[in-house]
Amino acid sequence: MIRVQPLLAAVVLGSAAHWVARCPDARQARGLASGAVGAALGVLAVVSLVLHGSVDGSEVLLWGRRVQLAGRGWEASAPFVDLLVAALAVGLAPVASHGPRTLAAILRLIALALAFLGMSEPLGLAALWGLQFVVAAGELRRLDEAHGGSAAKPFVRYQAPALGLVVLGTLALLFGFRSLGVTAWLMAIAVREAVIPFHGWLPTLIARAPLGLVIALVAPQPGVYAHLAVFGDMTGGALAHGFAAVGAFTGVLGAALGVVQNDARRAAGWLIVSQTGLIAFGLANESQVGRLGAVLSWQVMALAMSGYTMTIAALEARRGTLSLRVPGGSFARTPRMAVAFLLLGFSSVALPLTLGFVAEDLLVQGSVAEFPHVGFAVILATALNGINVMRCFFVLFSGTERHTGEVDLTRREVWALSLVLGALLLGGVFPRLFVAGGPSPPGTAVHGHPGSPSKVTDR
Amino acid sequence: MGWLEFVLTCVVALPLVACLLLAVPAWFGVRFGERVISAMVGVAFGGAAAAALAALAGMLGSGRDSLEVTLGRWVVVGDYTFEWRLLADHLSVPFALFAAVLVGLIGVFSRRYLHRERGFFRFYLLLALFGAGVEIVVLAGALDQVFFGWELVGLTSALLIAFFHERAKPVEHGLRAFITYRVCDVGLLSAIVWLHHRVGSSRFVPDGGPWAGLVAPSDTASVVAVGLLLLWASMGKSAQVPLGGWLPRAMEGPTPSSAIFYGSISVHLGPYLLLRASPILQGSPGVAWAVVGVGALTAAHGSFVGRVQTDIKSLLAYASMTQVGLILVEIGFGLHYVPLIHICGHATIRSLEILRSPSLLHDHHHLEQAVGRQVPRTPFHIERLVPNAFRPWMYRHALERGYFDSLLRLVVHGFMRVMRGVDRIDRWWTGKVVGEPMRIDAGEEQRR
Repeated sequence: MIRVQPLLAAVVLGSAAHWVARCPDARQARGLASGAVGAALGVLAVVSLVLHGSVDGSEVLLWGRRVQLAGRGWEASAPFVDLLVAALAVGLAPVASHGPRTLAAILRLIALALAFLGMSEPLGLAALWGLQFVVAAGELRRLDEAHGGSAAKPFVRYQAPALGLVVLGTLALLFGFRSLGVTAWLMAIAVREAVIPFHGWLPTLIARAPLGLVIALVAPQPGVYAHLAVFGDMTGGALAHGFAAVGAFTGVLGAALGVVQNDARRAAGWLIVSQTGLIAFGLANESQVGRLGAVLSWQVMALAMSGYTMTIAALEARRGTLSLRVPGGSFARTPRMAVAFLLLGFSSVALPLTLGFVAEDLLVQGSVAEFPHVGFAVILATALNGINVMRCFFVLFSGTERHTGEVDLTRREVWALSLVLGALLLGGVFPRLFVAGGPSPPGTAVHGHPGSPSKVTDR
Repeated sequence: MGWLEFVLTCVVALPLVACLLLAVPAWFGVRFGERVISAMVGVAFGGAAAAALAALAGMLGSGRDSLEVTLGRWVVVGDYTFEWRLLADHLSVPFALFAAVLVGLIGVFSRRYLHRERGFFRFYLLLALFGAGVEIVVLAGALDQVFFGWELVGLTSALLIAFFHERAKPVEHGLRAFITYRVCDVGLLSAIVWLHHRVGSSRFVPDGGPWAGLVAPSDTASVVAVGLLLLWASMGKSAQVPLGGWLPRAMEGPTPSSAIFYGSISVHLGPYLLLRASPILQGSPGVAWAVVGVGALTAAHGSFVGRVQTDIKSLLAYASMTQVGLILVEIGFGLHYVPLIHICGHATIRSLEILRSPSLLHDHHHLEQAVGRQVPRTPFHIERLVPNAFRPWMYRHALERGYFDSLLRLVVHGFMRVMRGVDRIDRWWTGKVVGEPMRIDAGEEQRR
């Protein structure tokens, strides 16, 4: 099945990337990239408004393939989430570390993530997975060669085998070896989602690479979508329970490791690892509530962690390397940056009045019946993640009266963050905007379980 | 929605509106003057107090013991529903009225106290958010909603302790308070989840007692588990032994916030939660005795350690801890109205004392002038009961704050050491996979 809306947005971003790469300077490229993201958001919004109500959830046959015109619930909001991630990755990207080609790579990665949302067959997903690997590895390698870094190596060492597993899994599914296919895909997803013990690349990449590029690669979480699209119905079995247990373990250990980091980037990296672990745990749930909680957590994590990490990037551009050993900032000098950092961080760890609270509530409530003991790991992990965020906030934005001359958020940064904070707060007050899919579990729209809105199966 | 339901909704809505009116313009760079800021908060909480009073009068006039307002369904997924429901009864309305009046008064008081303070706006925004959180906690119709407000109270408390953020100590103490809250909130959230799992709901329902309470699970193990989890949650918020070390340190914040948080409202939310959980305590004598034990130990500890404090704010913090401990003992013994009256009385006196604490020397001079000689020292009646041989040991024990801080430090440092070890192993393993060693300090990775 193909979905029209995300593919349209992907085309806009993909085309713009070509022109952004050719800009003579980074500032101009960032302006063009921001415009492209705005245009894509506009196109998506207009198309959604036009299609809303009239063809909601319906499908047409085009050249023998099912084409969905407008998604429902999380399917509808996911492309917007990806574009908001792009707005942050581009809008808050420091020009010193994000040249035109890096910005173009960011747009291409987001375009591929959007295209991912437009597909549901393993073959198409595998092709997009491969393309994302090529774009990310290529840009990281180019940056390493240009600046003498070594960000590409950890990424390639972990992700190349994952790509191999995707190819193997896809071939196995095509030729009817379902258990081999499922296992290979799940392992690839575990590597991509940085589930322990396949997580090593993520904190390392965050510590070494330009943060805009990392966010474009990590925040849309294609592995989560692949999980939903390929294994939407795979719950309750031993494999699913194993995956859930590993996810919960990742959630708790990632959160605990985040608390002891001395580097703001790595602390953010472990926060992401912990949250992807919790999402993986939720996706393996049999309960609709738990799975919807996982899907919401996925979207919250994409938005909140993108904003959180890009705020670190913006602060780093002003202050230099951000150590967590000694407090060295002043809230009074950069109040809006501090507020954005705190709100985004806490949105991802279930602050009331934000969408994160709803996501965690659903995740915990939904999982406790099936996993009465492991379910409490989610609560523990969230508590530890909250401590991680607060510690980073206090260390980065307090402790000194000295004014180092750093400026608060610029107008472009304020607007990019306002969009994301607005979405998170609006979602917290009116969660039904994001839970509009209703009781149907994620994945049913892909697989068309009985009772799903489309009632169409692809098998 | 009738007028009674409307005014009850206003008690929660007005503080939230004040937060919005302060926060949204500030985010876009619009700043109001001190007069406008304090007026907004004052009006919001004055309105909330008036609404709470009207609700109380309406309930008394109509002869109703309780009033429930359903604001709507927030999340509906399958069998799971999160419904916003406000509950006014003999417990929540006095608490809501009392909280609104005190926050409003603190708002008015702080206008002069924090005049030209750089964090004036921040203080009022956090105060309004705190007030909104408290009103949500006390008027919540279910434990899920309590958690909603509970978290807001914890966050604002930590941020206000670290109000003077240029100095290292307030920030350190703010973080300590936040960690304590967060660790104890695990208890509250776990209790909610367990209640949903076992009972199907965490709503407060009338059970024949003086006010609505939680529905106790049918099996004893669950009753004990939920009871202990709620006690754990209360211990953090109300600074009970052995977790109470954050309370004297919390006095680093501005005096008005210390008064409202640690003298009057925030520390009493733990007892409030336990009062709502009285059916659980009644269902398990073991849990009730645990509440009595924690309360009694805290009261003894607070009274004991408070005697050797040399600054007024620490002394008041330990006095607060002692009284809250006694309130817990009353709750554990199954009393209802006595702890409620105790809470209101203690909160009023203590917040007044904390507000007056910066003028202690001034007040002392006044008192000496009035009596015409030095004020006589307080006689050591209780101290005389302690045998001489034990006095040095007990003095040392009190100076070390019962060694509870050392104990906690041991636990936290142990955890940190273990996690640092795991981190080192993780870096070693990743280095092996990648084929190069991983660095530990910030920037070393970026410079690679």
